[in-house]
Amino acid sequence: MAYSDKVIDHYNNPRNVGQLDKSSSEVGTGLVGAPECGDVMRLQIKVNPETQVIEEAKFKTFGCGSAIASSSLATEWVKGKTIEEAMQITNTDIVKELALPPVKIHCSVLAEDAIRAAIGDWKKKNGVTEGAEVAQAVAAN
Amino acid sequence: MGTKPFCDACGKVQPPSPDIDYFAAFGLPRKLNIDLSALERSFYRLSRKLHPDVYAQATQQEQQWSLEQTSLLNDAYRTLKNSIARTEYLLKLEGVVLEAGKSEDGAAKESRVPADLLEEVFELNMQLEEMRMTRKMGEDDPQLRKDLEKAHIDFESQLAASDSNLQDLWTLWGTALDNEDTARKSETKDQMVALLDRRRYIRNLVRDVNEALEA
Ligand code: FES
Repeated sequence: MAYSDKVIDHYNNPRNVGQLDKSSSEVGTGLVGAPECGDVMRLQIKVNPETQVIEEAKFKTFGCGSAIASSSLATEWVKGKTIEEAMQITNTDIVKELALPPVKIHCSVLAEDAIRAAIGDWKKKNGVTEGAEVAQAVAAN
Repeated sequence: MGTKPFCDACGKVQPPSPDIDYFAAFGLPRKLNIDLSALERSFYRLSRKLHPDVYAQATQQEQQWSLEQTSLLNDAYRTLKNSIARTEYLLKLEGVVLEAGKSEDGAAKESRVPADLLEEVFELNMQLEEMRMTRKMGEDDPQLRKDLEKAHIDFESQLAASDSNLQDLWTLWGTALDNEDTARKSETKDQMVALLDRRRYIRNLVRDVNEALEA
């Protein structure tokens, strides 16, 4: 399979590999897997409690080149964004940026899932969504 | 158009029906418990009958059809003789999308990946990486090696267990099919999907642990 230059660049020089302190209340951790291939990805964000801006992001991926590139790109993208902005990132954006072929789309989905899981974890720790979600659920009924 | 490679009446080769499935190519029902030696025998018997030499004198059209039938037969055989490929193929025939690009229903997707398994997979991968790194520096960490050997045995047996669970599901599937029990059919399908998902992680781990231990 021919990887695009951008994939190769992220693969050879992955940005933000590593980990953040899982137990910190400012850190959200997303651990996700792709059942299609059995690959796993962990993405972590560190959020400023005042501004809700993601100040730090790290990842660790055991998987294919596209998954590594997708998660590397995802950490670059979320940094400096607020939680709400980061939620807007979709796998389609990643596919476009990295020019992923159709068989590699699930790798980008993994990265999107990881962002959402990390944000979800942070929200849960900080009691952010619960209220909003309950309110929404009530409103929907 | 029939599903058989040869015409019942005149015995001549027919073009493969466009919607033939691999089970039908062997005249089998869509069941997963397959007698592999019988499958092999039919494969050889049909291959011989379709062999290009047999068609050396035949019309162009017949030569073409016999080639198409042969390639269908080969694909079918390769898929059906492998227990995992066979199961995946059946699920696909039954409308299950295995390589879910993006599932509409986030919740359903999450439940496909058990969190405890993910943790385990991730941790083990970390250990494997550590082992590769110490190795690179020309060192050996006996404790790490011991852990990995233990993990190896553990995951091998998980793999074996999942294979035997899969066979149980095959039987359930066959029964549900015979009884035309739609509810049971879809329940069994879901169980097979979940099992295969889990199995993929375990298979990767077994492979990686093997590599690390052999290196
Ligand atoms: S092949 Fe599995 S994440 Fe890319």
